[in-house]
Amino acid sequence: MIPRVALLGNPNTGKSTLFNRLCGLRSKTANFPGSTVEHQVGRCVTKSGQELDLIDLPGIYSLVLEMPESKLCSDCLDGRVGDGRPDATLLVLDANNLTRNLQFAASALRRGLPSVVAINMVDLAQRRGLIIDEQAASQALGVPVIAVSARSGQGIDRLIEQLTRTATSSSIPNPDQPLPNSEPGSTASAIWAATVFARIAAHPDEKKVDGMTIHDRLDAAFTHPLLGIVLFAIMMSLLFASIYWLAQFPMNAVDGIFGWFGSGITSLMPAGTLRDLMVNGIVGGVSATVVFLPQILLLFFLLALLEDSGYLARAAFAVDRTMRRFGLPGQAFMPLLSSHACALPGIMATRLIPNQRDRLATILVAPFMSCSARVPVYALLTGVLFADRPLAAGFAFTGCYVVGGIAGLGTAALLRKTILRGPSTPMMLELPDYRIPSIRNALTVALDRGMLFLKNAGSVILAIAIVMWWMSAYPKSTPTPESVALEMRAVEIAPTDPSAAADLRIQVSRIDERTQQNGSFAGQLGSIVQPAFAPIGLDRQLTVAVLTSFLAREVFTTTVFVLAGAGSNAEGEDSGTLETVRSATRDDGLPLFTMATSAALLIFFVLAMQCLPTLVVVARETGSWRWPLLQFCYMTAIAYTAAFLVYRFMS
Amino acid sequence: MPRAPIKIPLSQLARGQRATVECCALDSLPNEHRCLLAAMGMGEQCEVRVCRPGTPCIVQIDQTRLGLPRDIADRIMVTPIESKTP
Repeated sequence: MIPRVALLGNPNTGKSTLFNRLCGLRSKTANFPGSTVEHQVGRCVTKSGQELDLIDLPGIYSLVLEMPESKLCSDCLDGRVGDGRPDATLLVLDANNLTRNLQFAASALRRGLPSVVAINMVDLAQRRGLIIDEQAASQALGVPVIAVSARSGQGIDRLIEQLTRTATSSSIPNPDQPLPNSEPGSTASAIWAATVFARIAAHPDEKKVDGMTIHDRLDAAFTHPLLGIVLFAIMMSLLFASIYWLAQFPMNAVDGIFGWFGSGITSLMPAGTLRDLMVNGIVGGVSATVVFLPQILLLFFLLALLEDSGYLARAAFAVDRTMRRFGLPGQAFMPLLSSHACALPGIMATRLIPNQRDRLATILVAPFMSCSARVPVYALLTGVLFADRPLAAGFAFTGCYVVGGIAGLGTAALLRKTILRGPSTPMMLELPDYRIPSIRNALTVALDRGMLFLKNAGSVILAIAIVMWWMSAYPKSTPTPESVALEMRAVEIAPTDPSAAADLRIQVSRIDERTQQNGSFAGQLGSIVQPAFAPIGLDRQLTVAVLTSFLAREVFTTTVFVLAGAGSNAEGEDSGTLETVRSATRDDGLPLFTMATSAALLIFFVLAMQCLPTLVVVARETGSWRWPLLQFCYMTAIAYTAAFLVYRFMS
Repeated sequence: MPRAPIKIPLSQLARGQRATVECCALDSLPNEHRCLLAAMGMGEQCEVRVCRPGTPCIVQIDQTRLGLPRDIADRIMVTPIESKTP
């Protein structure tokens, strides 16, 4: 049986950095059954080959606070969750905040489990002139105490050795003076901590600062009502631009690799259903999942750097006042902003928000933010709407972002006054010291989040992608007489005019694609539900395009290009393609895209919840399908109503 | 006869000013906020230094910095510590 060790400590003690140092990549995020509060589990292997299972519990200030995190830690220590009581605890204390951390350690030691105390960030403390006596600390607390620096690795080997000894023994804490019988923050606990601190630590050069320190100046700038917002806007623009810009390279690489893989299968396997399933269903589905990974990894890597630097806590205060007007806390800004790149990482980033109602409201409004998948749709529709008027098209494009933002914030205010009514938790935050962020730590966090996404959402997205492919690919249509005639003509002229024959074959493939799309199950479904979309000006073909875009919004443009006869590989920015789309006609010969239809579709895509992967992630994050269903119905209703009004007004 | 110490809201302290959080200083706060603040280090008799007055009110206790909303800082009663003249 591998001994289990629970890591406990106050927030900002470097507990997770220590956990990552001990476990490396052998860790993952987990939940105890019935709890939404996350913790990390990992395995530490000592030099002698002994294995330890570590449980990194959330950072808390007390085991008895009325907070889900405190309750989880308390339940874990008492064996009410998980596989019984852990074999030992590793209490992580910040050397720079010892008096407060000692009080927490005392309350945890009173639970009577074999324990080791790691006094972390001892290198920083030494730089401040603080000297810690491990021996005296061990006597005072009655358990082994090791001074470590999780960042530099100082003392880690000794800590692992001691942890192995303690976890395989049954030694209970044996302090030389009784531990305070009260919780952290009480007078008795504070007096005990002050006494112990005086015994174990010496601070010969300590001076009281009366003037403004550099920390004070930075805090004042970062939380200033105006300057703080400006600095935050700059920081977020950089973050957002980096995600947008940097992610395109791995995303293109993912596309390329899966395209190459699909071509490989096509050339190796005989044509048929199995090949179609492999190439378009499975490879396409995996590609549709993995393509989100670069943005998720980048966002969490950069967020971890910002959090580690100490800036994020200050930034939350800077935007708190503005966000409170819409019923959201300052911490909601970051997830909403990242949702402009993609709602998936944005929704996953709401874990920064401590209050459940605030977090739920943020998750529910995040998809209103215009994500990068909407960009090709906006480009196509504004291009169709404002032909030869690039300035107007640009304004319309920006307007889409503004409308989405207003709808999201307005909805948040509405939610907090109705179904999510309740007091907001005032933001009382510890502001960690400024420091150079750890790349190693940020990489571990990003990889963990990426794996969590693949594990939780990836499998569902893959299954949905395969179903959507099947609906678009079956039943197989037979070529139309027009297509057959063109193919025969191409065969005839091929020997004399190969380039004209190639052009004809392109036309044949476009006609076949369009026939297949119309005849498929998705096409048939489009015919059935078209009457519901008629009030917003959509015909059968556009209804199919809207339905197929439910997997991912950008699919809309591909479907429209196929419908218009421009081919599925057409580019939205190409003026020739836009012209083809503009001149496309319905089955009855009328134009496919009128001004009213285009405007209605544009507003529909700004406001509608046209993204199955987002719904899956919302279900995973909220632990119930109730919320994504509500979100889908609400957003569709708003989008439909707005599109209807626009269509009527413009008609 | 010694004067009784003056108690004022934490939010009224100036930047850099020090004060002691008195007994019952947090009594006007809801229990959950009071317990959280105490566990975060703002217990009775602790010494605070104001790093930034206003919203948020940033205070330093030992080596910990806490950011508090104005309405919470308004309800924490403290006794200013007279700064020593050199």
